[in-house]
Amino acid sequence: MRIKIRDIEFTSPLLTASGTYGYGHEVQDLTNINEWGGIITKSVTRHPREGNPPPRIVETSSGMLNSIGLANLGVKKYCHEIIPFLNKLATQVIINIAGSAMEDYLETMEILESANGKHVGYEINISCPNVKKGGMEFGVSPKITEKLTIEMRRRTDRLLIMKLGPNVTRIEDIAQAAESGGADAVSAINTVVGMTIDIQTRKPSLFTNFGGLSGPAIKPIAIANVHKVFKAVKIPVIGIGGIATVEDIIEFLLAGASLVQIGTMCYQNPDIGPQLKNKLSLYLKGIGINNLSDLIGKVKNHSE
Amino acid sequence: MIHHELAEIISNSKIAEGIYQTIFQSPIISSCSLPGQFINILPEPDWNRVMRRPMSIASQENGEISIIYKAIGEGTKIMADWKKGEIVDIIGPLGNYWKEYDDTFPILIGGGVGIAPILNLHHHIIEQNIDHMLIMGARNGKEHFLQHESEKQIYMSTDDGSLGMKGNVINAVHSIYSKQSLPDNAKIFSCGPPLMMEAVRSYALENQLKCDLALETIMACGIGICQGCTIERKVAESKDHSYRSRFALSCTDGPIFSAEEIVSCG
Repeated sequence: MRIKIRDIEFTSPLLTASGTYGYGHEVQDLTNINEWGGIITKSVTRHPREGNPPPRIVETSSGMLNSIGLANLGVKKYCHEIIPFLNKLATQVIINIAGSAMEDYLETMEILESANGKHVGYEINISCPNVKKGGMEFGVSPKITEKLTIEMRRRTDRLLIMKLGPNVTRIEDIAQAAESGGADAVSAINTVVGMTIDIQTRKPSLFTNFGGLSGPAIKPIAIANVHKVFKAVKIPVIGIGGIATVEDIIEFLLAGASLVQIGTMCYQNPDIGPQLKNKLSLYLKGIGINNLSDLIGKVKNHSE
Repeated sequence: MIHHELAEIISNSKIAEGIYQTIFQSPIISSCSLPGQFINILPEPDWNRVMRRPMSIASQENGEISIIYKAIGEGTKIMADWKKGEIVDIIGPLGNYWKEYDDTFPILIGGGVGIAPILNLHHHIIEQNIDHMLIMGARNGKEHFLQHESEKQIYMSTDDGSLGMKGNVINAVHSIYSKQSLPDNAKIFSCGPPLMMEAVRSYALENQLKCDLALETIMACGIGICQGCTIERKVAESKDHSYRSRFALSCTDGPIFSAEEIVSCG
């Protein structure tokens, strides 16, 4: 079940998806965080953010729409209040960074780099659909993605993971830009732009009209994007999108994911990572697989 | 401490038109819950929706907790069909709780889906011998499960006048206090549909009464991680960079907020 990204080993392929597990301390009563392969904390930005006005979430068929708007406490408080807690964890910690301009991302990383954190890497959110400026503007342009990746690579030796979204014409181009900029891995996918309308009030369900769709509803979209990216780059792909069961994890591995993240289903069951880790271990024994790499990207052609 | 418990249903019954009460065997959560708190429920084991359903606790004693709910949505309709002996996956207790009622004359105002936390507080302060008043509003008498007992300061109001006092809960307050003035230490505790609570909030602000409101919002996690259940607070001036000062979370900063701190009841 162990898997490496560059020189960093994960004891399980299951990570928390950013934004669905807070900063980790919120869930301590309900799970053993250290049983996750790693946790990726909620996006942190250069300055604190209140986020979007309500309503921010709505349930949909097999999923939910959210438009939180990157509400977070800002990188300075993160360093003082969150990193000491994260440093005590015995699992791999990855810090997700978001921004609305190149300087925001870079300054945030510089502050985190000087903070004595034991975190092993960064995931860079260049695909948030819920903020007006930035976020997704970066992740839709291969040029800007490459430039941002190069600049961030210059500032850290820790793992650098670029988080890609599905709301682009060709996700392969963005993935290749991240790879050539020096990223160690890419994660895919962020949420899918969506909208629902309350037919009684005839208003959009969310204050921002559009939001990000997540949950099992987006899994086929995620599988397709993970597979496209897997075919396009040599660096590892981290799969995200609607994982709820062991079978879902196997599907992502076959599509080309080396690790996976669980997001929306954490809300229903904060202990889902440790539970699926045990089930996955049994499942792999059952099908005679000793090494996860025997499954990664092993989806067959119809002619095989 | 928050707990994840598999709770056995001891009873599930219809107590009024469209309103159900479920009692769970839930020794762990029951032992550490306080009136005003809530639990987050998975309505069925193979629930394929992504969100649990938050439900206020109506009572917590002897290893049992109860909830009272209106069967209106997909989740609550499944709940209304629960059978005795079924096991339900619940997380709790969650959120803050009713406070600062000791030195007040509490006026408890509940209605619709907001009956549970008000009833819980009512029973709690009866045990503590705190003199108080209870007003429950509904559209008609069939939706009530308590008796109108004005001599005990328990008042039922109905929109159609079929039980107790005709009109809404604010009409009831006005008519109770038409001949006498409100006690100096009166404080309102309320939970109900957003429009009702907004009327209660306006009344409290106009009359400069202290008032705590248990708000209901859409909620996914219940523990502060999804940040979806936002309540807008009044802020003196909009700061460029703040976090959770304007937008509080109903699940962890609430569900109980004071009337003066929030912009509206949703």
